[in-house]
Amino acid sequence: MNPEHIEKIVQRHRGEQGALFAILEDIQNHCHYLPEDALRKVSQLTGESLVDIFGVATFYKAFSLKPRGNHHVSVCLGTACHVRSAPGLVDEFTQQLGITPGETTGDGEFTLETVNCLGACALGPIVLVDGRYFSNVKRPDVKKIISRAGAGFRESTAERAGSSFPLEVVCPHCRSALLDTQNLIEDHPAISLMASSKGTSGWVRLSSLFGSRCHESEHAFADDTQLSYSCPTCGRILTTATPCIECGFPVGSLAFSGGGSLHICSLWGCRSHRISLNGLGSPGVAHEEIVTRV
Amino acid sequence: MVTITINGLEVSVEEGMTILEAARFFGFPIPTLCHHEGLSPYGACRLCVVEIGEEPRTKVVSSCTYPAENGLKVRTASERVLRARRMIIELLLASCPQSKIIQDLASAHGVSHQRFRQEYEDCIMCGLCVRMCSEQMVAKAIGFRGRGTNRSIGTPFDVQSDVCRLCGACMYICPACQLRCTFNEPEKAVCNACANFQPPCIEQDRFHDMMCYMDPCVACELAKTP
Amino acid sequence: MCRLNSIENFTALQERLIAESHPDTPTIVIPAGTCGQASGALNLVLTAQHEILSRGLQNRIRLRVTGCHGFCEMEPSVLVEPKGTFYPKVDPAGMRRIIDALLRNDVVQDLLMADGSSGRNYENLGDLPFFRYQNRLLLSQNEKIDPLEITDYVKLGGYAAFVRLLEHNAPGEIIDELKQSGLRGRGGAGFSTGMKWDFLAREKNGKGKYLVCNADEGDPGAYMDRSILEGNPHSIIEGMLIGALATGADKGILYVRTEYPLAIKHLGTALTQARKFGLLGTNILNTGISFDISLIKGAGAFVCGEETALMRSIEGRMGEPRQRPPFPVQKGISSLPTLINNVETWANIPVIFRIGAREYASTGTGDTGTKIFSLVGKIKHTGLVEVPMGTPVRELIYTIGGGPSGKVGIKAVQTGGPSGGCIPAELFDIPISYEGLSRVGSIMGSGGMIVMDENTCMIDVARYFMKFLMDESCGACYVCRKGTQRMFELLDDIAAGKGSLEHLDLLEELSLTLKDASMCGLGQTAPNPVLSTLRYFRNEYLEHIEHKRCPAGVCKELISFSINELCTGCMACVKACPEGAITGEKKQRHSIDQDLCTRCGACRSVCRFDAVDVQ
Repeated sequence: MNPEHIEKIVQRHRGEQGALFAILEDIQNHCHYLPEDALRKVSQLTGESLVDIFGVATFYKAFSLKPRGNHHVSVCLGTACHVRSAPGLVDEFTQQLGITPGETTGDGEFTLETVNCLGACALGPIVLVDGRYFSNVKRPDVKKIISRAGAGFRESTAERAGSSFPLEVVCPHCRSALLDTQNLIEDHPAISLMASSKGTSGWVRLSSLFGSRCHESEHAFADDTQLSYSCPTCGRILTTATPCIECGFPVGSLAFSGGGSLHICSLWGCRSHRISLNGLGSPGVAHEEIVTRV
Repeated sequence: MVTITINGLEVSVEEGMTILEAARFFGFPIPTLCHHEGLSPYGACRLCVVEIGEEPRTKVVSSCTYPAENGLKVRTASERVLRARRMIIELLLASCPQSKIIQDLASAHGVSHQRFRQEYEDCIMCGLCVRMCSEQMVAKAIGFRGRGTNRSIGTPFDVQSDVCRLCGACMYICPACQLRCTFNEPEKAVCNACANFQPPCIEQDRFHDMMCYMDPCVACELAKTP
Repeated sequence: MCRLNSIENFTALQERLIAESHPDTPTIVIPAGTCGQASGALNLVLTAQHEILSRGLQNRIRLRVTGCHGFCEMEPSVLVEPKGTFYPKVDPAGMRRIIDALLRNDVVQDLLMADGSSGRNYENLGDLPFFRYQNRLLLSQNEKIDPLEITDYVKLGGYAAFVRLLEHNAPGEIIDELKQSGLRGRGGAGFSTGMKWDFLAREKNGKGKYLVCNADEGDPGAYMDRSILEGNPHSIIEGMLIGALATGADKGILYVRTEYPLAIKHLGTALTQARKFGLLGTNILNTGISFDISLIKGAGAFVCGEETALMRSIEGRMGEPRQRPPFPVQKGISSLPTLINNVETWANIPVIFRIGAREYASTGTGDTGTKIFSLVGKIKHTGLVEVPMGTPVRELIYTIGGGPSGKVGIKAVQTGGPSGGCIPAELFDIPISYEGLSRVGSIMGSGGMIVMDENTCMIDVARYFMKFLMDESCGACYVCRKGTQRMFELLDDIAAGKGSLEHLDLLEELSLTLKDASMCGLGQTAPNPVLSTLRYFRNEYLEHIEHKRCPAGVCKELISFSINELCTGCMACVKACPEGAITGEKKQRHSIDQDLCTRCGACRSVCRFDAVDVQ
């Protein structure tokens, strides 16, 4: 991991309560483990002694000092899962992958771990693979789970493609369509917006297929740039007070012509988006309206 | 000043003193392993437990970390305390039978055997070395790693620490790594025979202390012969 | 930035939101907490979104994606408002049919949950026995709230209690009312919350005070805190705001375990929204009162649920507990006075001040209010159930939970997680209360209720908890580190048929020492699972020791598998056996080579004909 990146991470969490945990977590998210040189750099930058950092890194189960595999299998061994034969699943994974919990396969593909409770006890035994939960897992399912994970859950992406559909969005202020019929992405009119960041302003086009992350833009914005979205027709700002659930940055809220809203994260690179059909129109806008009105 | 009662004796001690300090000041012995006067109290070995409060609502606490509070009633050697202490010593013996300090503790408390799977560990995680290194030597070269049964003490990444000055204070203060009497099988080292009988080596000038380096120690064998 | 800048503005916003809420609009509610997502709720959400948008139904049907409703076993489920129609285990095709029916103001009969005995369909959520006997003071809010929309919470009357108290600003009265409610900590020991707040309020400190929400729900088998965090994050924030008002604290911390990624996301969003609204941060609603909450993720350590370890962890250090005194309220995080309550306790606070302490205290017998339990294990209906304090255990297990899941009877129920104990079936008439449970050797704990049937081996259970505690002990105090290890070894010996009666004596002796001499609650309560199983199921221990038999057929070293005459020769077990120990031809009874068999039980789990016996 390059030192500048670590510096950036440390800088981001400076002064926060419990900053060390957040720093270690960010590093681990980036490298899948905590490399020795990164911990030494953190010690240098934060002034915490290496002994203390190393102690924390080894005390908590979430941190790993060994490189982890591309796919991360956690078998829940909570009480409810235990009484429903979760230990047998650990045996089965051990057998199928040829590694015991805590180890990584020789090819660096799979890491097997056990976890004390994932909190989905009613559906036990639970297996968590790369952020995906499998419930009521039985021994014969293990092989299937491994092969699906190995394939990067491709089948399920295909499933998703089947139910993916184009979103017809309009500007919540002037109600003009935001779909650009001249420019297609994935064979559908793209959602076209104006985006600006620090003086640079230009168009961005996003795939209108729900779930897709395809996009193009006039300027090459670096990932982690916060953009301000505006309507290409009326020019009003679309970024609202609603935070993105993935990164916490504000989202841009677009409206569906028949009601409801689409939230897209304003952090370039986050690409998280969410549909809201709970009848309040665009809550972010509603809030700002009322707050400014009263 | 606060007033506390230790084993029925009412005494006044300075505020901020721990029960252990107060008890020792007034001559009540409390065994300890992880305590050292120059270092901050840690409460890890649990040998210094005492019973506080009044019947029937008493509780057992570690005296090295418990402050002497006004009106506190302390018993340093109640049945409950001794029972706990003996079990702790038995656990220590089961893991680290070769330490002289632990052997002596066992002798003093009449623990002569242990009932668990015998282990031979060279560290009881009392943390004296860690505190020595950070508090007295201001180095922070070694520390605790991991947790539970995987807990260990050492340098980060198990490599020579940049901040270690090789002062040796950690070794000096360790209660577990002094290898002494091991008879011919380590678990028999707690036979207590040498404490109760004349050890064969005590007359030799080279050994001034009770424990000798004779391998094997034959005190127990001598004791058997009339 | 725009935010609400006065109490009147908040009230105006709330009134407007309530006026615009139109509760009669047909709404599809899909619970999509972690358990919902694990069972495929997001596919339903996607289907519903697709249907609504592509058919332009936005004005006719609303969609609300919420946290967990409690009946996790039936997920992915769908609830249709305003009628409250409940559809269990819905697939995308079913979702489309539900929408079609809804447009006709109709119900899809064949997707409803059927009553096993009468064959009648339960139409309404409230009709289901699982829900009918509950008192869902907290959990029912989850159905009404999209956790990502602060407006949903405000619309339900959320933050109104806080704002009212803010207007009067009489800390003493808040604490008095809380004491009157009789609320006790929902995290374990059950200390009076009002007293705790009073202690903090009395601490004078110019540098500030901390309020902590302990969301390090570590008890395996308990997940009610997760469902509140995911489903109703603003109730925690409001609870803490009221706490801040009463105690004069200015800093809040939400410590969430890292195993709950969805809860972390929802809380993060909720905190940002509350800040944007001006309900959190400096100068709340221009009243001059400031309180902000930071979100800290745990890193995977059960012991950090213990108050003093939690504080160390918040400070960014190893989570080692320390002896009290000094108590957190005297010397907590960064040496400042600190008050720690768990999630369910905080979630009760807004409810108390919304309905009033007297009304709250009228619920429950013995203790006041409700308690959420996670009813899991070998029981027919698993999920989260909320019942008034004082409800008999039997009612929870048989009336609400529907009795055993398998063919064999229920033997015991384990409460309180690794610090708790097992309650045998003959004591199921005891009421659920702090004292009631502790009288029989268990504890309330955080609310895990793991049901065990005749196929659960109590030695295996005790051994499981001891293994758990051995791994999770911080290792600082010798008695806990070595004691749990030694107890595990003893139990392991017994489970392997190598036990003797001396093992039992030693277990009991060790238990006493752990109880007395451990530094923190983890070690002090560690022997409970062993002591309670020894107390009620000593016979099972003796069977293992004297007859080298495991009556439940669990302990691998003491059992053997064989195939009986029910075998149809389907080859399923032959294929499933990882050791190749089963031989046989198609349509002929198979047999197991005992020398090769590792007693993994794979054959038994795949057999559809009950043809694999365990001895």
